[in-house]
Amino acid sequence: MVDFVPLNQLVSGQPAEISDVKGEPGHVHRLHEFGLRCGTRIQMFRPGNPCIIRMAGSKVCVRMNNSLQVLVKPISVGN
Amino acid sequence: MAISSVASTVALIGNPNTGKSTLFGELVGSPQRVGNYPGVTVEKKIGRTIHDGHSYNVIDLPGLYSLSPHSRDEMVAVDLLLGRYDNTPAVDMVVCVLDACNLDRNLYLLSQILELGLPTIVALNKLDVAEGLGLRLDVEELARRVGVPVVCTQANRGRGTEQLKAVLGQSLGRQAAPPRGLFPKAFEEEVALLEEYFTEQKKTVSLTSRSPHWLVERLLLDTSGYLKDALFPKSENPGLDDLLAAARDRLAEAKCRVPKIETTSRYAWSHTVLEDVLHRPDRYRTTMSDRIDHVLTHRVWGTGIFAVLMLTVFQSVFNGARPIMAMVEYGSGAVGQFIESHMAEGAMRSLLVDGVVGGVGAVVGFLPQILILFMFIAILEDCGYMSRAAFLMDRLMSSVGLSGRSFIPMLSSFACAVPGIMATRVISNDRDRLTTILVAPLMTCSARLPIYTLLIAAFIPAVGEHSFLGGWLNLQGLTLAGLYLLGIITAVMAALVFKKTILRGEPSPFLLELPDYKWPSPSTVLYRVLERCWEFVCCAGTIVLLVSILIWAAAYYPHDRETVEGPYLPRMQAIENELAQPSLDQSQLERLEQEQAALERKIQAAYQHQSILGRLGRMIEPVVEPLGWDWRIGCAVIASFSAREVVVATLGVIYNLGGDLDPGSDKGRSQLTEKLRQAKWDGTQQPVFNIPVALSIMVFYALCAQCVATLAVIKAETGSWRWPVFSFCYMTTLAYIGAFVTYHIGMMIGG
Repeated sequence: MVDFVPLNQLVSGQPAEISDVKGEPGHVHRLHEFGLRCGTRIQMFRPGNPCIIRMAGSKVCVRMNNSLQVLVKPISVGN
Repeated sequence: MAISSVASTVALIGNPNTGKSTLFGELVGSPQRVGNYPGVTVEKKIGRTIHDGHSYNVIDLPGLYSLSPHSRDEMVAVDLLLGRYDNTPAVDMVVCVLDACNLDRNLYLLSQILELGLPTIVALNKLDVAEGLGLRLDVEELARRVGVPVVCTQANRGRGTEQLKAVLGQSLGRQAAPPRGLFPKAFEEEVALLEEYFTEQKKTVSLTSRSPHWLVERLLLDTSGYLKDALFPKSENPGLDDLLAAARDRLAEAKCRVPKIETTSRYAWSHTVLEDVLHRPDRYRTTMSDRIDHVLTHRVWGTGIFAVLMLTVFQSVFNGARPIMAMVEYGSGAVGQFIESHMAEGAMRSLLVDGVVGGVGAVVGFLPQILILFMFIAILEDCGYMSRAAFLMDRLMSSVGLSGRSFIPMLSSFACAVPGIMATRVISNDRDRLTTILVAPLMTCSARLPIYTLLIAAFIPAVGEHSFLGGWLNLQGLTLAGLYLLGIITAVMAALVFKKTILRGEPSPFLLELPDYKWPSPSTVLYRVLERCWEFVCCAGTIVLLVSILIWAAAYYPHDRETVEGPYLPRMQAIENELAQPSLDQSQLERLEQEQAALERKIQAAYQHQSILGRLGRMIEPVVEPLGWDWRIGCAVIASFSAREVVVATLGVIYNLGGDLDPGSDKGRSQLTEKLRQAKWDGTQQPVFNIPVALSIMVFYALCAQCVATLAVIKAETGSWRWPVFSFCYMTTLAYIGAFVTYHIGMMIGG
């Protein structure tokens, strides 16, 4: 069963829960401070790289690269 | 009522986009003092408010997500809270602005602030927006759990500010209690150990005054070492680094790895505080902003709208500024004439007219463009569109190693590099910001247009077999487009090279909040525009003035009357005598006056020839000869060091046309064009200018850094002379190589 997918594989409107942030420790810490951390619920607004996600009450633009990956667990709609 | 003479200092702190600056405006009206913190270009805004007989100095800190000092903004905030700025009073009280829509993350920052132990008040903003999204919040319970007063505000409507002021008075001197049990025991033990070390070392002097526990905790948590290096330099604290490393190793073994332990612990606290206090909806409601974003961030529609918007901005900058620029030019001309008619001829008059008024006037002439450009930027920024533009352009910019935030500065530089470089402040990554500052001056700014249009009109064939697309595009237009393209391509290459060499580093994560759209506030827009324009005027008033005077002096001195005017004097005298005769008819009079004017131009050119500038020009002739230039072009290049557009006027003087030639008028331009075509190498019949020479000059000006205002603003923005010097060197080298290659290839093809 595939649990974790990279953030940019979510389709528009799909809700998900962040399961891991991987990369250089300093950058990961930055993302954590920003609120992008394990357990945060997000929703894809505009897929791609950079993508726009909805997080809590705001929209955030995020770009991934080789040294930074956000893995998410998609939540199937209707759950 | 008597007002207490002692003012309390209140720091306003919060995440970006919480409405903090709006609240600041509501609290204090307009700020009394605005400036930059020493050494960094982080804006410092202080205002004053009086409530119940007590006055408060309110400091608006930059928006930040965390107090761990990584970026310039965070360093400023931490330094200010610790009272490390001599010219800013120590903070007595903190107002932490929380965005009700995003409390999890906002409480992260609050937990760091509470630990400082300063009297703290929470201003809970945007509760109305949060409720609109479907969030429900128990404010009383929230206040009980965080342990400090919570005031609900609606900054954009001015609601809640009176209550906030009242609570300020009540909270004075009431220290906030740090959240209990925030960090695990293992971590607290390490902090205690470190505190002991500092007590033993008697290093507590700087610690006791303000939050020693907090400081020690930060030393342990911040792997960047900013505070450690600033407060406890290595030379005075030899063992500290090892001590910290050992403590972090022990923590890692105890499953409290630094820095992760900080986010884990603080978010756990935030979670506990919000449990049963905040009720989140299952699905957030779609807002107006979401609907707008469906269009504006769309890859096709969004990009199309963005392109149209930028075109509109550019059209307005060029067309809207034209009449005002003409007025500024006319004004500085009138001032010059006024001085000329009221002062005796001499060095002082020449200094005032040519050096001060002429030099600074040329630069201030760009103020209208800067004003209009900043007005658009301020409006787009205030209504929330700017972050969408950064999102749209990020894909493009990341291919050269920069982020979407670099786009607007680069685009602004097509009008003028000065506002472009000032606009780089929004780039949070220092390496990206510096790269943008270094390559922005390569964009074709409007000061390059006068020399381009002059040389293209004079030497590039306009008609005949050289037209394309049915005459719509000709060789002249293509040349101009090519020069723009040259600037862009060079900037892209330079950015790539810088990011791979001197500014190498891990690409940092690109994170950007997209705030909700709102109507721009006229006062905010006006305030930002005026502030930026004032900065520009100050810059033009100091460095540009100085350099203008230096260049004037080089062109004026030694001003040896005898040797210069001597050979022409007998003939001048003879003409004057003849003119004095009453029996002259009209044609004789005209002929004599023409000869007199020609002689005066020759004298002016002779002065130029023997001036320091002329000598410099001849001295550097061997250097510029490989570019196909004679010493006069060399002179013009040196003289235009202060500003590129000066080159046209200098060429006018140098090629015996007189300084009062108006290159803006068609007549003046065609005269100059004619003179340039006739110019010969000294002592030969070989013409100076041909197509390869004209191209080599244009390529030089496309790539060179001949603009004091730009260099001065780079100094101001980077805080050191290193970067303007570097900019000048690398751009001049590129310009020289570019001009050399252009000339030689041009000569090979058909010179």
